[in-house]
Amino acid sequence: MTELARMIAAKNVSSVEVVQAHLDRIAALDGKLKSYITVMGESALAAAKAAEAAVHAGADLGPLHGVPMGLKDLYCTKGVKTTGGSKILGNWVPAEDATVVARLAGAGAIALGKLNMHEFAYGPEGLNPHYGTPWNPWDAKVHRICGGSSSGSGASVAAGICPGALGSDTGGSIRLPSALCGISGIKPTYGRVSRAGVLPLAWSMDHVGPMCRSAADCALMLAAMSGYDPRDPTTSVLPVPDYAAALTGQIKGLRIGLLRSFFLEGAGQTQRAAVEAAAKALEGQGATVEFVDLAKVTLGPAASHAVLAPEAYAYHEEWLKTRAAEYGADVRERLRVGAFVTGAEYLKGQRLRTLLRDEVDEALAKLDVLLAPSTAIEATPVGQNEVRIGSETFPVRASLIRFTRPFNLTGHPAASVPCGFTAEGLPMGLQIVGRPFDEATVLRVADAYQRITDWHTRRPPMAA
Amino acid sequence: MPGIMQYSPPMEKLTIDTLRTLAEAQGLELTDTELAALLPLVEAGRRGLAAVREIPPTTEPASQFRIL
Repeated sequence: MTELARMIAAKNVSSVEVVQAHLDRIAALDGKLKSYITVMGESALAAAKAAEAAVHAGADLGPLHGVPMGLKDLYCTKGVKTTGGSKILGNWVPAEDATVVARLAGAGAIALGKLNMHEFAYGPEGLNPHYGTPWNPWDAKVHRICGGSSSGSGASVAAGICPGALGSDTGGSIRLPSALCGISGIKPTYGRVSRAGVLPLAWSMDHVGPMCRSAADCALMLAAMSGYDPRDPTTSVLPVPDYAAALTGQIKGLRIGLLRSFFLEGAGQTQRAAVEAAAKALEGQGATVEFVDLAKVTLGPAASHAVLAPEAYAYHEEWLKTRAAEYGADVRERLRVGAFVTGAEYLKGQRLRTLLRDEVDEALAKLDVLLAPSTAIEATPVGQNEVRIGSETFPVRASLIRFTRPFNLTGHPAASVPCGFTAEGLPMGLQIVGRPFDEATVLRVADAYQRITDWHTRRPPMAA
Repeated sequence: MPGIMQYSPPMEKLTIDTLRTLAEAQGLELTDTELAALLPLVEAGRRGLAAVREIPPTTEPASQFRIL
């Protein structure tokens, strides 16, 4: 995206050519990938022509001028249907844009279409019974999960049918598909980016963020999206730094904590080795690395059950009573669980979040960032429900969200960048967690890592 | 104020009949098959929460009303 924006502004390539090339790739590849629910070809080309005219007229150009991108289909788009990956909202057309959609358009970005996702964002695999489950582009033969819920965002960016995409993250839904699809994504601090006009899963755990091919692209996109929004009272009034300027490549003296128990010790051997190698590589650039243990992360599943389930149920309550048959079976069942959480349990979950947040804050008082695997496992075949880690068997769902969910509960910024491949050629992710509202340091570390590695430049077989 | 707030031991095990009553009280009509599928999920969640018995009394919920 960074390079495309520069080339478009320099008239080396026209936004019409760029958009048309992406539409052609969508037509050629997305029949199998199923990453788009709605392709906005006509409006994208019209916007590209206007962008091209603005370049030739010498107009002031935004940082994303003429650059196409995809929007997860839970972002409201004025005049364009927004399904949430559901049948229930299959024909719903919002009357206005989500704040971030408007901000990205204001920065010059062009919406290519609306991207597939786990129904109503309630699932870490990225499955979808209504629009088809997106195909992980790293395995052309076996239909593997992309990770979710932003599965279409992960698949489309990895396959090169959009340069960047919006995801959302309630338990890992930006970081999981980023890890499993070999791309870069960041869940910013809770309150950094507006959730106004984004279909909620759980109001107090939902985060909005970019998914791109590099940390530098994420920095560009995040800067255009961030900042206070009166439509979302949870957004912060803190100023938005220049994230791109923070990417100095310098991490000398940076203090890094490598999360050991629960994280490294709970990951598959390959994931663990990849993250340890990444820590070593960063140490080689002048950072100091030490092991850290977070004892209270074991509270995560209980806190998440107490908070996420009833918040999701509260949003869906009426539809569950009147249109239950229209949900996919997995999401319907998951949503109904929330009906049985009491008010006292909900608040107990919120108190556990405080304990967990305090512990992460305490670790980050002495360290600049924390490292962990993004997931315990690689992309599994669609339909596989269990996985072996070491000598034990675990549910796939729990193994996916185990390392990401704690930071939805705490609200800390957390990115995932590619850090290697399994023997089967499937990508793995390195998670980088920072202090509240210090996305700049998270991105600086991610970018520094990408300057000394080439994992993020590799392309999947289905991108050819 | 005591140093640690003690939560009571976990409640008795839920049954399908208890779950049905709770569901009906909220206007949710669920079949026996649906209730049977939900039961282990609800129980697992309650078990996980009940296992946390001690929280410092000064620990407030993470979600707090803000007017600014």
